Amino acid sequence: MIEITNLVKRYGDKKAVNGISFTVQKGEVLGFLGPNGAGKSTTMNIITGYLSSTSGTVKVNGHDILEEPEEAKKCIGYLPELPPLYLDMTVLEYLNFMCDLKKVPRAGRKEMLAKILSMVKIVDVADRLVGNLSKGYKQRVGIAQALIGDPEILILDEPTVGLDPNQILEIRKLIRNLAKDHTIILSSHILSEVQAVCDRVVIINHGKVAAIDTITDLSKKLSGSSKLLLSFKGSVKDVKNALQALPGISGINERVSDSDIHEIDITVSNEKGSDVRTSIFYAMSKGGWPILEFRSLDHTLE
Amino acid sequence: MFAVYKREFFSYFRSPVGYIALALFSFLSGLLFINQFGSGAISISSEIISLRSFFVVIIPVITMGLFAEDKKRGTEILFYTNPLSLFDVVLGKFFAALSLLGVMFLNVIVHMIITAVNKGVVDIGTWGSVIVYFFLAILFIAIGIFASALTDSQIISAILSFIIILIIQLISTISTLASSSVSSFLSGKMFSMDAEKVSKAVEKVSNGIKWLDPFAKTQDFRYGIFSVAPLVFCLSGALIFLYLTYRVLEKKRWAQN
Repeated sequence: MIEITNLVKRYGDKKAVNGISFTVQKGEVLGFLGPNGAGKSTTMNIITGYLSSTSGTVKVNGHDILEEPEEAKKCIGYLPELPPLYLDMTVLEYLNFMCDLKKVPRAGRKEMLAKILSMVKIVDVADRLVGNLSKGYKQRVGIAQALIGDPEILILDEPTVGLDPNQILEIRKLIRNLAKDHTIILSSHILSEVQAVCDRVVIINHGKVAAIDTITDLSKKLSGSSKLLLSFKGSVKDVKNALQALPGISGINERVSDSDIHEIDITVSNEKGSDVRTSIFYAMSKGGWPILEFRSLDHTLE
Repeated sequence: MFAVYKREFFSYFRSPVGYIALALFSFLSGLLFINQFGSGAISISSEIISLRSFFVVIIPVITMGLFAEDKKRGTEILFYTNPLSLFDVVLGKFFAALSLLGVMFLNVIVHMIITAVNKGVVDIGTWGSVIVYFFLAILFIAIGIFASALTDSQIISAILSFIIILIIQLISTISTLASSSVSSFLSGKMFSMDAEKVSKAVEKVSNGIKWLDPFAKTQDFRYGIFSVAPLVFCLSGALIFLYLTYRVLEKKRWAQN
């Protein structure tokens, strides 16, 4: 569906995107994950034809975005980081204008708009000025705009940023609904969000692909090497010896030591059904080392 | 192109800009029309020619937001990511501004009807003035649009087009100034040329500058003497500025900063 090869975008000396390649299959929901400034938006802008790459190619449905831009753009619905809304129009006027821009035939336009309005739940604000809507509603109008013309591919740049938790859940639900008959690329810097809606993740950092994986593989890798933090009073050496004897612990690293208070990282090789935390607790109490802090370290993308 | 045209034209009436421009134009043209009542002879041509001097204010106002506002609001991305060409966008906006000017001009049409009904003079020269009015408008709107595409601030865009249009309106003054300074320079101590050579050089300079003056080129139209060259001059000037606007927009894609 989308084929990206060796994409480079240079800004002066800096390479915002540096050799990104990946493909998106039909019907897939691809998450685009990375810290701010990693090149997510730039890549999306190149795929949609807003920017041109310095080198590399983008093929959408077999159409090169530079060689056959009109054909390629017809397949794409794009929600940029900042929803491109005309604040002086009503929602309906704006969506009608978008239909004109996307050359949607007049016949059947009303039905399509009605369907989109109810899908993103903006029926009751359809006659209000876009400028008077709240941020959540504006975001939805932005998504509605991307859905016009029924494109096969949706590209959503941080669709939930700046929304309240309730709205975030609703937008995610909407995206999952859309995923049934669309190919979606979605960017985010929140891992849990990508986990909630995507099949596959591309992680980019400093303009390069750091990892491409399916969500299940990725979480397996993450949970397979979970870490615990333990802070206690006592001798590090004795504790290390006692804990290393326990099953399911693959490594212990010392973090900080402050006179007799120590902090250690325990790497756990998770085996099914076993929770090492109880055995660690008993081992510590048996040795007479008081536990000051004991928690699991979440694997975050950051 | 039509989608952009429709949006831009109606957006004039979603904000005060369209109404203010219309009111201002109605007031000025009405004033110019009524002022002639005392003289006994109404000349629509001279009304239109006086109205041309307000281009320098009206055209920057109606063109300043056309691209600047899109850039500021982030809506320009729509023109790049939808299946339409950037030149269509430029033309859509251009015709929207031209149409607003056409709506304003209805005032003058009303004055023409009043004059004709009362057995005044509405002759071929009057129509010549109308034609010139619109060809000059086409040139200046293209300049205004170009200025608007250069910046994301409406104020800067308006000032820029104001300055360019002002310079064009002042070309004949500029050429007079330039020829007198060239004449004093050449006949001064440094060159001490003889009078004949100096006057030849001065003529060349002033003709060169005057060649750029669309007002002087079209001044015979009001007497019913038409020619194609001045119209081609205005149109090709407009096309150059519209094409430059298109290139400015296109540059956004490739720019490396």
